[in-house]
Amino acid sequence: MSIDAVETPRRLLSLPRPTALAAPLAGALRRAAPTVAWGLVLPAVALPGWYLAARSGVLPEQILPAPAYVWSTFVDMVRSGELASHAGISLLRVVEGFGLGMIIGLVAGAAMGLSRRVDDMLHPFFIALSQVPTLAWIPFLMLLVGIGEPLKILVIVKATLVPVVINTRAGIRNIPKGLLEVGDVLRFTTGQKLRLIVLPGTVPPVFTGIRYGLTHAWIALVSVELLASSEGLGYLLVWGRQMFWLDTVVVGMIVIGLIGYVSDRLLASVEARLQRWAPRHD
Amino acid sequence: MTDVAAPNGPRIAPSVHRGLVLPVALLAAWELSSRLGLADPRFLPPLEIIARSGWHEMMEGRLWGDLLASLRRDLSGFGLGATIGIALGTVLGLSRLADRILTPWFNGLKQIALVAWIPLISMWFGFDEAAKVVFVALAACIPVVLNTQEGVRAAPLPLIEVGRTLRFSRTQFLLRLHLPAALPSILTGLHLGLIYAWLATVGAEYFMAVGPGIGGLIIAGRERFDMPLVLLGILILGCIGFAIDRMAGWIEHRLIRWH
Amino acid sequence: MPPTRRLLIRAAFAAATLISAQAAGADPVTIRIGYAAIGVDNRPFAEGTSAATARAGNFVEDEFKGAPDIKVEWYFFKGAGPAVNEAIANNQLDFAYQGDLPSIIGRANGLKTKLLLASGAHKPTYIASPIDSVVASIKDLKGRKVAVQRGTNGHLSLIKVLEANGLAERDLQILNMDSATANAALAAKEIDAAVGDTGLISLAEKKLAKIVYTTKGDDPRFGRYAHVLVTEAFETAHPDLTQRVTNAFVRAAHWSSEEANRQELLELWGKSGTSTSVLAEFFAGETLKYRNTPLIDELFIDQYRQAAAKSKEFGLLRRDVDFNGWFETKYLDAAIKDLKLEGYWTPYDASGKPRAN
Repeated sequence: MSIDAVETPRRLLSLPRPTALAAPLAGALRRAAPTVAWGLVLPAVALPGWYLAARSGVLPEQILPAPAYVWSTFVDMVRSGELASHAGISLLRVVEGFGLGMIIGLVAGAAMGLSRRVDDMLHPFFIALSQVPTLAWIPFLMLLVGIGEPLKILVIVKATLVPVVINTRAGIRNIPKGLLEVGDVLRFTTGQKLRLIVLPGTVPPVFTGIRYGLTHAWIALVSVELLASSEGLGYLLVWGRQMFWLDTVVVGMIVIGLIGYVSDRLLASVEARLQRWAPRHD
Repeated sequence: MTDVAAPNGPRIAPSVHRGLVLPVALLAAWELSSRLGLADPRFLPPLEIIARSGWHEMMEGRLWGDLLASLRRDLSGFGLGATIGIALGTVLGLSRLADRILTPWFNGLKQIALVAWIPLISMWFGFDEAAKVVFVALAACIPVVLNTQEGVRAAPLPLIEVGRTLRFSRTQFLLRLHLPAALPSILTGLHLGLIYAWLATVGAEYFMAVGPGIGGLIIAGRERFDMPLVLLGILILGCIGFAIDRMAGWIEHRLIRWH
Repeated sequence: MPPTRRLLIRAAFAAATLISAQAAGADPVTIRIGYAAIGVDNRPFAEGTSAATARAGNFVEDEFKGAPDIKVEWYFFKGAGPAVNEAIANNQLDFAYQGDLPSIIGRANGLKTKLLLASGAHKPTYIASPIDSVVASIKDLKGRKVAVQRGTNGHLSLIKVLEANGLAERDLQILNMDSATANAALAAKEIDAAVGDTGLISLAEKKLAKIVYTTKGDDPRFGRYAHVLVTEAFETAHPDLTQRVTNAFVRAAHWSSEEANRQELLELWGKSGTSTSVLAEFFAGETLKYRNTPLIDELFIDQYRQAAAKSKEFGLLRRDVDFNGWFETKYLDAAIKDLKLEGYWTPYDASGKPRAN
């Protein structure tokens, strides 16, 4: 085995080990309390410092606006529905692109994992595709399909596709030969083999790929919205920058971070559950 | 933005000829359709036009300048980011206090899609090269911090006890024990940092002030509707990314073996 | 990160004050001039303003020919006025050519600048559509995809034109694009209209677009206003140099206003990559004196005040702008006197009519 594609995403993101996440909720909360308390030390020092610096003019507002100002902008944008509308547009794009990319990725990855011939034909192609960052494809796609909605969806599909394919393929391939041989002995049909052996064993790595795909999809969305869009959270940053509204830019960044965090956590908890439920091969 | 292949790089399937079927078929279809006028040559220019565009750009000297500018940006950003990353990672790995106070915030900030930093960094640093380098450094820094922290923290307990018995000073602990033990992990972080830095270099050239660079070349190609130039730029980006990844992988491998 | 950054800035500031304190002698000074536009294919030149003349004709460099200690550097910004603001905020520029809206936004956000002279202040705005588009007038833009670079003086000009036609920005689908991107999108028929100037005339000349509307010949208040500014820091440290730079710009404005130079002027601006025929069309039917006046007259000042009020009304600005002391005409007055150009340019009153001297 030359590649540990299943392991890569976790290493990249350096996520906590699944076992830690699988801990019961109450225990997690109890353990979280001191973490939260310690985590509040920095803002407890930084926020008043920021406030004082902004107030006294040591920190010019064109470098960093006062926290209260950022907050009031946030409240304004929530009240006016502006923030919800931008976030909604971004989320819709991600859902569409990510959903499509995931389906194509699962099918292609499964085909590559199950059939040697398909794999020989498609795998080098996918490796080549993954070598060129999504960001680089954007101008190419802009020339090809213009700057409308299809561009955004295509970019997100591409971003989702690669990790899903690589992990699905590896997940299926990593199923121990012995198990399949047992299936042969028991005279399982192909359908039975898929349902009883392949599927349960591959769900966790495939899900890791999906989760990684979502992270990619989110970054791709922000990139494409920065480059060519008139709405959405990425555009909010561009708009804020051009109008010299640092408060808007900061609010946009926080919302992008929050959505990225929440969606990743959601998938992580599902992943942890799957990992526990899956049979162990080792 | 990030499409990071596994650091070790997958091995191409043994039956290479089958792997060639799809690309060759695609290239043939491309060439045929543009020759027979089935595709708009503005969208899919014949291959030799791309080759000629590459040759032209190379001979005119612009391509080399762009490539050099991108690489310089990439490496200076990576150098800065890696230095900060190792320092911060070591502190977070060794000091419980720093870890408790800073790590939650670091993890939170990490969630912000990297490109989303570009507007703020532009506003903070203006149009200078500094803005681009800072962005690249930020990108490179994140995996280095994470992996250094993990590596430093994971120094084997028996080793630490040996250090205690030998009455190591703090510096000795750091230099003789924690850092060497963390080396493989740090190298992984640096490897990832290199990949991220290259992606960030392209991002900086896309979104920040105009200057020489491969990213700038691609953007200019799009504005002029110059598909050969765009494709050439993409090809170069992919190749450089691949080369950086392979080189880093090789160095990492050598160092760990030697270690 | 912010506190560290702050420290760095303070250190840089301290260093800068130290340096400028010494600069009272004959220490080398670099005069950094920003321009809120960029030439075709990112050429470091521009066209259509006296500031562009100063650049292409080396007027500022010539002013300091005898002073080897003084260097002049020009910077051109694809991100236009908003990008110039970022550079000013980071202390990377001393002078800048910039439009009304971005400067007002900068002032509202605490950038310390002074407006020295008008440049490109009566520049017409053009709106173009794809060649076979059904869009034939401003009113047809309703509900359509219109490209404009937000936060620039073109953006404000569009707002004024829309208002005069009973429309508002929200009646359109505004796409935020820099001019190069907008021109490409227009040629590819991806948008229904774009706001700009010479880039659009150029597309129309190649039959890739048609001009639907221009402010030229319409109410002069609809056009774009722009100026050359200096940072307060530079002006305080080098009033003498500020005067000499102003002199150079006024000389460029004078040369650009002489009808005898029209052909030569258009060719000089050609360094930006815009063809002479496009520039000839851009300036057709208007006097060079009108287009290249450096005067900060009643019309100019009133337009800036209205721009601020309108920007606030349309949500582009969240605070009031303090105009006190922003228009610093003493350098311009001295330059005009020095060059014996009193009465050469016609001042306009707030309603846009020429005022008898």
